[in-house]
Amino acid sequence: MTVTKPLAEPLIALRICNPTGLFHPGEVLRCEYQVDAVPPNEIQAVEAAVLWYTEGKGDEDLGVHFFERTTPSDAIDGDLRQLHRLETQLPLSPLTYNGFLVKIRWCVRVRLFWGHGKQLHVDRVFQLLPERS
Amino acid sequence: MSRVFRVWGKKRGNRRTGSRLMGTVGEVLFSSALFVLGIVSLTALILSQTLSTSPPFPPGFGFWVLVLVLSSFVLLGGGGVVWTILHASASRERRSALARRAANLDLRGSVEEADAPRAVFPNVPSDANLTNSPGVKLSYRLPVVQSPAWRLIFASVFGLIWNISGAILVFFAVKSIVSGRPEWFLVLFIIPFVAVGAWVVRDFVRQMLIHTGIGPTQIEISDHPLRRSASYEVYLSQGGRLWMRSLALSLVCEEAATYQQGTDLRTETKRVFDRQIFRKTDFHIAPGLPFEHQCAVEIPADAAHSFQSEHNAINWKLVVRGEADAWPPFERAFPVIVHPAHDRHEAPGRTSDRPADL
Repeated sequence: MTVTKPLAEPLIALRICNPTGLFHPGEVLRCEYQVDAVPPNEIQAVEAAVLWYTEGKGDEDLGVHFFERTTPSDAIDGDLRQLHRLETQLPLSPLTYNGFLVKIRWCVRVRLFWGHGKQLHVDRVFQLLPERS
Repeated sequence: MSRVFRVWGKKRGNRRTGSRLMGTVGEVLFSSALFVLGIVSLTALILSQTLSTSPPFPPGFGFWVLVLVLSSFVLLGGGGVVWTILHASASRERRSALARRAANLDLRGSVEEADAPRAVFPNVPSDANLTNSPGVKLSYRLPVVQSPAWRLIFASVFGLIWNISGAILVFFAVKSIVSGRPEWFLVLFIIPFVAVGAWVVRDFVRQMLIHTGIGPTQIEISDHPLRRSASYEVYLSQGGRLWMRSLALSLVCEEAATYQQGTDLRTETKRVFDRQIFRKTDFHIAPGLPFEHQCAVEIPADAAHSFQSEHNAINWKLVVRGEADAWPPFERAFPVIVHPAHDRHEAPGRTSDRPADL
């Protein structure tokens, strides 16, 4: 007998429009995201951010390069489940770094606020690498 | 199902295993209780003083201490409520975006000239303090990372206080022994105290010798900030009256990570790149005639750029290490900034930085 687990959490689909995931400073990053499997009236807000964060021995630092927050009042029909597109020109620094104590990662993060104070987020990591001369 | 409440919750760094919502509610309740306690008690205290029917007397020291303590309850409680609600209602990315926007606000609506490179290269430290001193031979004279004089002053003040305290304790210990009623606990306590005092004196003498005996070290560089794959001229000058066993100049990169361990804040560093540029052995430096050398330094093609955030950093520096006869070895560091290799200096515009999007 197969027991179907009720779908407890919404789905967030996030795709960076660059199959390699490699970018150079100043290039334009494009991505698409969509929220699904949640009634539209339960969505309170959707936040999309392009950010870097540190990993390693030290406490995590985070820097937001791009940020947008959409609420149901921003959508024409109040439904935030439609496909969203994001486009931003990447900065010159900090570049992706893989050190011993310090690592710098870049990612696109989509965060969904839904239900009564619940949050869910999805990250897509990409690399910001220097241009080879 | 996630547990709403658990008696014991583990704390792993900034992460907790308990319910976030319950934690927030708990913090708000605690801060509110502190705020209400402060307001009620402060009001009662002031009213009891002003509406007292007994013969009036001027408020004393205790009254003002109570006012101070209760006022701090009000401030801490009120501030705690506001801080917790702000933290709970906004995601970390949103708080970071708001903070960045606030930092970018300038009353004159323009970026300060000294901060312009930082606006173009986010999280790359500014080199404004490294290029404000012109060199004699080359473009810029680099400042030393930490003045030896400061370490000497600190060592002398600390050593003075420690050893005066030690001398007083020794006096009382000797007095107790001479009087025939020795304080053995005091004597045992003094032994490590005196040992530390001796070590402090030794360190002070060592610092003094380095500061007075080994002359100033100067580094000048042909251009700044540095870029990957580029080559720069470096001028080294070492003064003093010394017979040098060795003098070396190196290009060094260090990672620094600051983290919280319990209630302590610790910083760990790791040298991830150390390339010797120049080394000379067995030579004499005469007083008034400093040793001088000019050489080229090349920044590696795969070098990480300088980076600075709240808890993490990547620091580049030129390090001079010396060993002289009859002197302790010394090391002096001169920070430099390595920029990401770009010829374009215009800051890419952000497609969304409108207040409405925050």
